[in-house]
Amino acid sequence: MCTVGGGPDIGNIESLAAKDYECLDCKNQFKGMGRRPMCPSCKSRNVKAV
Amino acid sequence: MSILQVQECQGRLRKAMRLTLKEDEIAYLEGRKGTIAIAKSKGLFFYLETEAEERILFTEPEDLMVASSWGVGNKVKRALACTIFQLREMQAPLIVLPKGHPASPRLKVVVSIGERTRCSCQIQPGTHPEQDVLCSCDEFHHMEIIGRPGGAEILGLAEEESNIAIQKL
Repeated sequence: MCTVGGGPDIGNIESLAAKDYECLDCKNQFKGMGRRPMCPSCKSRNVKAV
Repeated sequence: MSILQVQECQGRLRKAMRLTLKEDEIAYLEGRKGTIAIAKSKGLFFYLETEAEERILFTEPEDLMVASSWGVGNKVKRALACTIFQLREMQAPLIVLPKGHPASPRLKVVVSIGERTRCSCQIQPGTHPEQDVLCSCDEFHHMEIIGRPGGAEILGLAEEESNIAIQKL
């Protein structure tokens, strides 16, 4: 994606494909894009798509 | 770095090049009007913040961060390195401006994060959602930058127009 430093503008981000995930260790829920999801809170890779 | 092949494209010589790039290094491609910086994403994740929600962008270890700016010289290189450093080392969030925000035309650096980046001079900076397109000067138009183990491959680099330097980030 194209973003801009200082105040990034990547346009219509809502149109990018993202999945909802839940961390099985800390129960944090987050929305992510990419092939190797990781919990942004506890850094665990023990996550599942919900 | 090594040159893989040189081809003619639209009347200009274009070369394919492989760069060796360590995780603590940054590569600069400096042309006549613009500069592009390349660094490894180190497999980290990045925060994208909109008015409505937060999204996390996950990367692979060999993925790249590619930053582009419309200018040349040390000041521009420092701005590119600073942007990459903030995002990667400080985990600074990417604040997503709504379309048409008055700050958009004032922004100086654009960034693409992922396995592959295609440079284009035919898009408005910061206004397109495609994951692999990066706004750049026309001299980098059609250039493609791909993450490879231990470095990056650059396809379509204009033969006569770019200086390449690799430095510690």
